[in-house]
Amino acid sequence: MSSVTARPAARAAQYVALGGYLVFLGFPLVWLLSTALKGTRELGSIAPSLIPKHPTLGNFSSAVDQANLLQAGRNSLTVAAATTVLVVVLALPAAYALARFKTWLRPVTLSWILVGQVFPVILVVIPLFLILKQFQLVDSLTGLTIVYVVYTLPFALWMLQGYVQGVPRDLEEAGAIDGASRLRILVSIVLPLLRPGVVAAALFTFISAWNEFFFALVLIQDPTKVTLSLTLSRFVGAEGQVQLGALAAGSLLATIPSLVFFMIIQRRLTSGLLSGAVKG
Amino acid sequence: MTTTALSQSAGPAPDGARQSGPRRRARRSGRHDALPLLLPALLPIAIFSVFPLLQGIYLGFTDSRAGLNQVTHFNGLDNYRQLADNQLFWSSFKIGLIWAFSVTIIQFVAGLGLALLLNLDLRLRWFARSLALVPWAMPPVVVAIMWRLLLNPNSGPINTLARDLGFSGNFNLLGDFSTALPAVIVVGVWAGMPQTTITLLAGLQAVDGALYEAAQVDGAGALRRLWYVTLPSLRPVIAAITALDFIWNFNSFGLVYVLTNGGPGGKTMLPMLFAYNEAFRYGHFGYAAAMGNVAVIIVIGLLFFYLRSRLKESR
Amino acid sequence: MKTRYAVGTAVLVAGLALSGCASSTQSDNGGDGGDSSGPVTLTFQSLAFQAPTIAATKKIVAEWNASHPDVHVQYVQGSWDSVQDQLVTQFQGGTAPDIIQYESAAMTAFADQGYLADLTPYLSDDVKSAVSPGVWKTVTVDDKIIAAPTLLQSYLVFANTDKLKAAGIPVPTGASWSWDDFQAAAKATTTGATYGVGWGLSSPTASMVSMGMNFGATFFEGTGSAATISIGEPELALPEMIHAMAYDDKSIDPVSLSQSGGDVLPAFVHGKYAMTVQGSYAAQSILDTAPADFHWAVLPPLAADSASQSANPQTLSVAAESANVKEAAEFINFAMEPKNLAAVAEGDWLIPASSTAAAAVESDTGGANGWHQVLASGSDLTEAPYQSVAAYPQWKDQIATPAFQQYFGNKISLDELKSKLTEGWSQVSGG
Repeated sequence: MSSVTARPAARAAQYVALGGYLVFLGFPLVWLLSTALKGTRELGSIAPSLIPKHPTLGNFSSAVDQANLLQAGRNSLTVAAATTVLVVVLALPAAYALARFKTWLRPVTLSWILVGQVFPVILVVIPLFLILKQFQLVDSLTGLTIVYVVYTLPFALWMLQGYVQGVPRDLEEAGAIDGASRLRILVSIVLPLLRPGVVAAALFTFISAWNEFFFALVLIQDPTKVTLSLTLSRFVGAEGQVQLGALAAGSLLATIPSLVFFMIIQRRLTSGLLSGAVKG
Repeated sequence: MTTTALSQSAGPAPDGARQSGPRRRARRSGRHDALPLLLPALLPIAIFSVFPLLQGIYLGFTDSRAGLNQVTHFNGLDNYRQLADNQLFWSSFKIGLIWAFSVTIIQFVAGLGLALLLNLDLRLRWFARSLALVPWAMPPVVVAIMWRLLLNPNSGPINTLARDLGFSGNFNLLGDFSTALPAVIVVGVWAGMPQTTITLLAGLQAVDGALYEAAQVDGAGALRRLWYVTLPSLRPVIAAITALDFIWNFNSFGLVYVLTNGGPGGKTMLPMLFAYNEAFRYGHFGYAAAMGNVAVIIVIGLLFFYLRSRLKESR
Repeated sequence: MKTRYAVGTAVLVAGLALSGCASSTQSDNGGDGGDSSGPVTLTFQSLAFQAPTIAATKKIVAEWNASHPDVHVQYVQGSWDSVQDQLVTQFQGGTAPDIIQYESAAMTAFADQGYLADLTPYLSDDVKSAVSPGVWKTVTVDDKIIAAPTLLQSYLVFANTDKLKAAGIPVPTGASWSWDDFQAAAKATTTGATYGVGWGLSSPTASMVSMGMNFGATFFEGTGSAATISIGEPELALPEMIHAMAYDDKSIDPVSLSQSGGDVLPAFVHGKYAMTVQGSYAAQSILDTAPADFHWAVLPPLAADSASQSANPQTLSVAAESANVKEAAEFINFAMEPKNLAAVAEGDWLIPASSTAAAAVESDTGGANGWHQVLASGSDLTEAPYQSVAAYPQWKDQIATPAFQQYFGNKISLDELKSKLTEGWSQVSGG
């Protein structure tokens, strides 16, 4: 916390710097929106303008038609939602155990989160592919969900156990004195206090699964099972004339759900929470 | 080392509830209760994450390749001998290191600058803070598409700007040999700003305000305060986030796959793209896994020296 | 509660045990459960991407399904950009489609890996006799026909006829057009903001090995894994000419060289280039997107020593692991029927590999909109040495493409190009 007051010149410099950052961070987003609203003729022009002269929504409908967006959107939603539910269900009891019991699994879990970062996915993906094949889960949304669950679980677990530690133990003990069963204590006392943590972990998981690309690229081949990232990546290289407007429109549509969730998460989360999490 | 730094920077601090209650009270019961709660979560991780990883490492010592009824043989260090001679791989590795170092360093400097600004009492701070986080919420594929539009040689605004500034002709920044890697690095920085900025901001907010006041009493200017108070206090956070950024960047795939797919002429062929092609275009699974193993060893080596030197400094 | 954990654990442990056998990459047939009685379902992965071709392909599938109630073909949409990685993965995972569309140069590698069924006994005599022996050679591996060649692509010059006229150049006619005339025309049409030629060469290798044949380029000697590279004057003639046009004459827009053919088309139809060299299929995009007042023509095939280009046909193959190879091959026979193949060819502006289908296209279109030139160029297509070279795909991606890109980006000299192409070969052929 800087309680130091700045001189006017310094303050001006600070605003200039902040403005620079805003342009760098914001302009690409504005341009994406602008491209999505331009017609074919305007996109072909040599001197593009930021504000579309003849804004149109045509790109959105052609993106939906041509890039298989509806189906892909449904697939992405299914996988991300299923992943989120499974992760929360699996992580809650485990996080409680990690936080409350002294077990060797605690340091092991944390090490796994860290060590797991170092290994490139290419090492994992080939054997994983062969394992899923044994279960007939290659080219299947179920298989993809399992993979996402497994790769988002460690971090969600770690996040949640932090929240469990934040729940005062005395509350549980007080409940125990009143004679409530262990399960009841957990459900009626601990769980409500964990709500912000659950929301944070769930949204983090959802966004990770929604945005994921590599595993989907390798594991999903059937065009009826592609996710949004996958279908967009193929739309980019589509042969013939590249349709920039539709590409931009599709990209925008694909970003909206995670942006909405992000808005929620952003208000809920204290900033520290995001730090280690974001790429996990 | 990463562990301590992480738990300082990334430890969740749910509103106020944290400090109450003694942290290490005698645990009531042992693993008999813990295990059934943990197993449903840990078993899938073991099967679909730990086990494939171990198998992947082993795969790097085999001749596994695509083909019907191919039998895989352990072939010891053959893959590594072959890799040692593979100039394409090493040039890709070099590109990977240039990319990872550049993105990490620029990200750190830019992230620190933004974090310092966000830590001040400026107008629009809330807006900048949200905006700084947006790239994280976007799929990497979308980030790549967005920048392809920006850098498009025919209709991209960057080109128009260059023309307005008096440069002639068109620029295909992603297609030109000398500009492709720098252009991709800029996109990498953009995409990776959130985690760096927010981690550093969290670190800044934890710096003891009394230190600044003491420094100010001593007559230290803003730069000296940054150098003598802020940076030393942030040291563990900086070590952690730069190390993590480096790993993430080195292992990154999706962003560049969509931006350039390694082109032009292999100038942006990050090691993971190279290994992906080796496995999934040419079907050399064992060889590709060997590339992964080499990458892991080198990255761990670099991290070891980096974190050790950081640790020494902070003592 | 305890029992539930126990059950869950048991399932997962069983899974762990099962996956223990996964380390060998052999495939034990995913089990499509194809028993020969009862209706059979075949998946057909099509790479059609232009709207008319997709429609024509789907129509063929629908007609087949209507006339064959016991063999149902299911249309699956694939994409040229991802098909290579996709097929490697699908073959490995045992999830490959029954009927696979791709191109001969890539299919021979899959045939070597044992993934493709031998179609020799199943293809009909009509199909066998309608395709020339040279083209059959491109899809024959170890005396087995591993694919039916469907459509061929040639590279052609598309011209903005208004720009040619403005430069005082008559639109060339005749059987072929010489590279020297092309170079001169490019120079003459380069004025102010207009370049004579826009040439999307971001994936240059296929164009170089194919059009290089005009100058007698072979690139390789020998076949299979015994092949050796040979880069000499004939192989370097075409790259050198393009380089000279871009950097000495300045009649090719150098930026276009770093773009794809599709990226260059919008600039061509908006008048930025007088000519563009494209695969014949670009005609469809030009028809779709050009402004109404845009006048264009397909010029006769370019020629130096000859007008030869390499025949790298699109193909239809059957996965070896398919439970219904015979039925799948019958569908291929059906798709190769002149009427059907002609319909697909017309959508893509490609040349049917079958002479009977080519005749059908000529009569359907009356040779209009450049069709006459497109079909005529089909007779120049012949088998090229690179097609029987096992490591060609990897050499193309990892060595030749970057080297040509660097040369066309004016980053390396012709000598360096030559040594890169030659030395790079030892990198990929050894592995």
